[in-house]
Amino acid sequence: MADSDTPLGGRPGSAGVNPGEEKAEFLAALCAQVGATGKPWTARDPVSEPVIRAWCDAMADGNPLYTSPDRAAAGPYGGIVAPPAMLQVWTMVGLHLGGPPERAVEDTPSAGVYQLLDDAGFVGVVATNATYSYDRLLRPGHLLTGTQTLAEVSEEKSTGLGVGHFVTTETLYTDQDGNRVGSMTLRILKFRPGTGRQGPEDDTAEERPVRPRPATNRSTDWFWDGCRAGQLRIQACDDCGHLQHPPAVRCLSCGGADLGHTIASGRGTLYSWAVPHYPQAPAFDYPLVVGLVELEEGVRLVSNVTGVRPDQLNVEMPLELHWLDTDDDTTLHQFRPAAPRRRDSTLAAGELEVGHRLPLSPVPIDTLLIVSTALATRDFQDVHHDPDAARAKGTPDIFMNILTSCGIVSRWIGDWAGPDVGWQSIDLRLGAPNHPGDTMTLSGSVTAVKSADGHDLVTVGFEGANSLGTHVSGTAELVFGDLPGGEA
Amino acid sequence: MSRGAAGRAAIIGIGATEFSKDSGRTPMELAVESCEAALADAGLPAEKVDGMVTFSAEQNLEIEIARNLRIPALRHFSMVPHGGGAACGTIGQAAAAVHAGSADYVLCYRAFNERSWHRFGSGVQGRHGGAESFDISFSWTSPFGLLTPASWVAMFATRYMHQYGATSEDFGRVAVADRRHAANNPAAFFHEQPITLADHQESRWIVEPLRLLDCCQESDGGQALLVTTVERARDLAPTPAVIAAAAQGATDDQQAMRSYYRDNIAAIPEMGLCARQLWEATGLGPDDIQVANIYDHFTPLVLPQLEEFGFCRRGEAADFLRDGNIELGGRLPINTNGGQLGEAYIHGMNGIAEAVRQIRGTSVNQVDGVEHALVTAGTSVPTSALILGQDS
Ligand SMILES: [Zn+2]
Repeated sequence: MADSDTPLGGRPGSAGVNPGEEKAEFLAALCAQVGATGKPWTARDPVSEPVIRAWCDAMADGNPLYTSPDRAAAGPYGGIVAPPAMLQVWTMVGLHLGGPPERAVEDTPSAGVYQLLDDAGFVGVVATNATYSYDRLLRPGHLLTGTQTLAEVSEEKSTGLGVGHFVTTETLYTDQDGNRVGSMTLRILKFRPGTGRQGPEDDTAEERPVRPRPATNRSTDWFWDGCRAGQLRIQACDDCGHLQHPPAVRCLSCGGADLGHTIASGRGTLYSWAVPHYPQAPAFDYPLVVGLVELEEGVRLVSNVTGVRPDQLNVEMPLELHWLDTDDDTTLHQFRPAAPRRRDSTLAAGELEVGHRLPLSPVPIDTLLIVSTALATRDFQDVHHDPDAARAKGTPDIFMNILTSCGIVSRWIGDWAGPDVGWQSIDLRLGAPNHPGDTMTLSGSVTAVKSADGHDLVTVGFEGANSLGTHVSGTAELVFGDLPGGEA
Repeated sequence: MSRGAAGRAAIIGIGATEFSKDSGRTPMELAVESCEAALADAGLPAEKVDGMVTFSAEQNLEIEIARNLRIPALRHFSMVPHGGGAACGTIGQAAAAVHAGSADYVLCYRAFNERSWHRFGSGVQGRHGGAESFDISFSWTSPFGLLTPASWVAMFATRYMHQYGATSEDFGRVAVADRRHAANNPAAFFHEQPITLADHQESRWIVEPLRLLDCCQESDGGQALLVTTVERARDLAPTPAVIAAAAQGATDDQQAMRSYYRDNIAAIPEMGLCARQLWEATGLGPDDIQVANIYDHFTPLVLPQLEEFGFCRRGEAADFLRDGNIELGGRLPINTNGGQLGEAYIHGMNGIAEAVRQIRGTSVNQVDGVEHALVTAGTSVPTSALILGQDS
């Protein structure tokens, strides 16, 4: 199968043009185990509430069916259930007494392939695709077993990250009674660092000039002092309470000269916007989104709107405040789409139509999120917590793991759908990595609705975009209304 | 302009340089040439000039032009602020001066190399630091990357589109009309280069929602106009273009280019103030205007200007444009010289000269039976407007 459609920009490698005997031999060795199925691997511990809770905390998933015994008892499943997106977590090998446990090649046929690739210099690793299907709900006490089959090893490919091979595995999960509970198809890229199109980091890049600094005087310095202190201050008349922006030296309502300030909540809506493309000032990233924000206090101010593409802008969209340090002593107010609220009651069958849009959800990416979610998904790969190791493997910094991309997308869809929504499957395609300091904005819409027997099978298409491009895209299949086949 | 001056002064001379992207001359040469041309048009010797009015943005001081023209005595000189918003204001102040007797012949002028020297469209990238009110005013926008006139105006355009359902194609209709008119005008930079709506839609973004073809040119050139009393004008050869009225306007919470904080930013209340003054001073209304030069630094702001003058109702300018009303043969042909998109961007002064030609009957796109021509000045800044009429 050709991989020319990979999100990493893969195209048929040069190997096909001039394979060379050595490469052919190497590929044969890599493919020797394709089709082999490893020994079943049983989790050390059963599904448990503390592990669920740690995962929900890291992912910021507030669905009470996962963590609140009372609410869960009153819910459709009569008790706590595990987030479906945790399927892969339970059998992750984790750490055993301080190090990864030994797993024989015959247990996991992919391990041998990875070893061959590591030895040949393909030490970089990223997951590129994952498809999870969920057959049964998991509850505390379930003990999972995973059985892996090596599905495919690609010929050598050139990708944006580097020259490498894609390795596809299929894992079947069963419970302690042998019931199938779900499955995963995972494709990862093992690549040779430094062979990508971006090449090694460019040390000769000129230092970026700072943005124009605000000019200040005694009539306005309190505003910028507030920004440095994390307060968005609005000028307020001591006599009549009128709020105004930009600041003046008299109240524009009553003429009073006694002017103080109040601190804005940081909530507002987009009143208008402009997206400069040309000319481009070197201090800014383009296209740049500039918004005229109407604060809930009733005044407007110009700000950047981040975490949103120009085509996602809507006048009146809700926004929330955040801050940007642009030089040593300048902090600027910024706005981004307001994080959507979690729905308490689940959408009913019949409420959704194709084209219905999910709310934009910006997810600020920082080291804490990447590391805490890696740990909560029991993924101890160094590229998710050790910047030096990540750089040695060809990426500029640590990056989010695929289990977290799945978890965060699932949390956002669940927050929109409601706590009782049923999950059938999720299919993710990974692209531009999520590094600390970036923001990933999730967007999506309903792409299909199938109605039957009091329930709707709803397909949601989604995308999470960061400053580098599309981090994740894919589809999720959800069930609204009476769950088919009753309680799983 | 005082109401008493309404109808008492006239434009009797117009003169311009060629309009180009690289004049090969200094702005002072352009200013002097255009003033000489206006005087030649009127047939007035330079030593008769005793007043000069220009923009506060003008870099060619009136005293240096007077020195070159050998004008012996200037009795009235003034400058009007706020960029292109000054255009009709210069004529209004000249009319007031000649009516009041503080000068007899006043030259109004504007000249620059704003394409080949400092490019006007590049905005304020370097400005920060000072503590004066003017510097402070940029602090609310420049750190966020609103640095150019196009970016300042785009914010109004987006809101107008949202509020009234106008589209990018509606803005494009202004550009198409301008360029169609320019195609007939040998003095226009875009002579014989009309565009289609498809060309407009395919042109690249400058600042969304503004495309390249929504933006006026940056031009090199100069334009001068000579104002005197109607009585003195009658002694000169050209047909007097009577200044029926001229008005300036600045209104609530007015800012320069960035009046983002008032109730309705999809309207232009300072232009509405000009309109009310013009109608009151002349007793005229929209039905009495046969042709107009509507300031078009960026196409979107043409729409609310049509509404402020009552050529259509609030929010309905897009419909007015869709019906072809602004083209030759339409209800209100606008920018018959090609406007600032098609002829040249001389800060609105070339639009006033075109209105004079329409009154004289000498435009290359002459409209039949012109009794009154309306001209507006720069929008999104404190602005001005005027009506020219026939000498009765
Ligand atoms: Zn007050």
